[in-house]
Amino acid sequence: MRRIIVVLAALSAASTAELAVMAPALAHHSFAMYDSDHQIKLSGTVKSFEWSNPHVYIELNAPDAQGTTKSFLIECANPGILNRIGWKFNMIKVGDKITAIIAPLRTGEAGGLLKQVTLPDGRKFLNGGPAGKPNIQ
Amino acid sequence: MKAVMGSAAAMVAALMVGSAWSADSAVPGQPGSSAPAKSGRSGAAVHGITGTWNRYPEIGEKPDPKFSPAPPVSPPPLKEQYLAEWQAQQQAAKDADARGQPLFSDYVKCLPDGMPAMMMGMFPMEVLQTPGQVTVIQEAYNQVRRVYLDEKPIPIEDAEPGYWGHSVGHWEGNTLIIDTVGIKPTVKFRGAPHSDQMRIHERLTLVPPMYMQDEVTVEDPVYLTGPWNFVYKYKRYPNYKMNEYVCDSNREYKDSETGGTRLRITK
Repeated sequence: MRRIIVVLAALSAASTAELAVMAPALAHHSFAMYDSDHQIKLSGTVKSFEWSNPHVYIELNAPDAQGTTKSFLIECANPGILNRIGWKFNMIKVGDKITAIIAPLRTGEAGGLLKQVTLPDGRKFLNGGPAGKPNIQ
Repeated sequence: MKAVMGSAAAMVAALMVGSAWSADSAVPGQPGSSAPAKSGRSGAAVHGITGTWNRYPEIGEKPDPKFSPAPPVSPPPLKEQYLAEWQAQQQAAKDADARGQPLFSDYVKCLPDGMPAMMMGMFPMEVLQTPGQVTVIQEAYNQVRRVYLDEKPIPIEDAEPGYWGHSVGHWEGNTLIIDTVGIKPTVKFRGAPHSDQMRIHERLTLVPPMYMQDEVTVEDPVYLTGPWNFVYKYKRYPNYKMNEYVCDSNREYKDSETGGTRLRITK
């Protein structure tokens, strides 16, 4: 239940009753490996963009909090979820300058779960209902 | 999503003008038809089930006061000798999540969840009625189950174990009554063990014009004290085009030390 609650905590828009109903059908897996309470913002250059199942991935070369540039692996939802909220398979390209808000991996490795991405043209996209919304901007 | 779903009025309009509906809108059992469908042979009489469906309510969707959301699935009514182990597994999963090391599972490994889990509508599903068969396609993992209409159930000992089992069904009014056997022991719903004696009964009922519900009853004389009942609900998702789902890039793996799920940072 806890894993469900962790996810649900992020879904502030929906009512408790709705969430209880939706809980079992939320995601491919628990999001417990990501720390949604301490989200971070990364700005950098896209190294790769992989549109596939079970997840879409962005590799982003960006400085960490200490200013050291690393390659971050950012997990997104899957093509189906993202298509349904308006993403397109080719809307991110290698070399694009983007900004991502992520829930970082609890292990401290350079990776995380996407909460929101801002494209070079300024458009912002969320990562679908299960992944939850950003708590920073 | 919003653009596709539109208003209720737009959805009804879409149903009215859709080619699948306009030709035989007076057929009993069709959404929008007030005529009750007749019981008996299922060949062509009722195919209002054909179309794309989404779980109901979708995340963040305000439920329709006229169609209440299904209650959460209750825990399996396992016999006492099996209950403690199941509870321990549930606790272990909670503890693993609390540690930030969610347990690895077959689903994370990209195996489909099979029956009855696929009917929860993790992702949209497409249902097709053709002569003698209703086919359910769940977008997650490209899962396909086939319900053979008006055939006799096979002897349970002849049911070859698989992910979706062997299903037979028949229409009674707006309800497709389905009986399924032959679910592989490793294909567990909510982590509950089951035997080769498990049967899944479903009452898949159209609630015109927009909704459908699946009343599921799992029976297993070996593991359960009695029937395990739960309900899934759906809403029509007109004009939705199903996505393919092939797991060709799974970066999640099982940590050999903790058993937890890890993300492979470098390929």
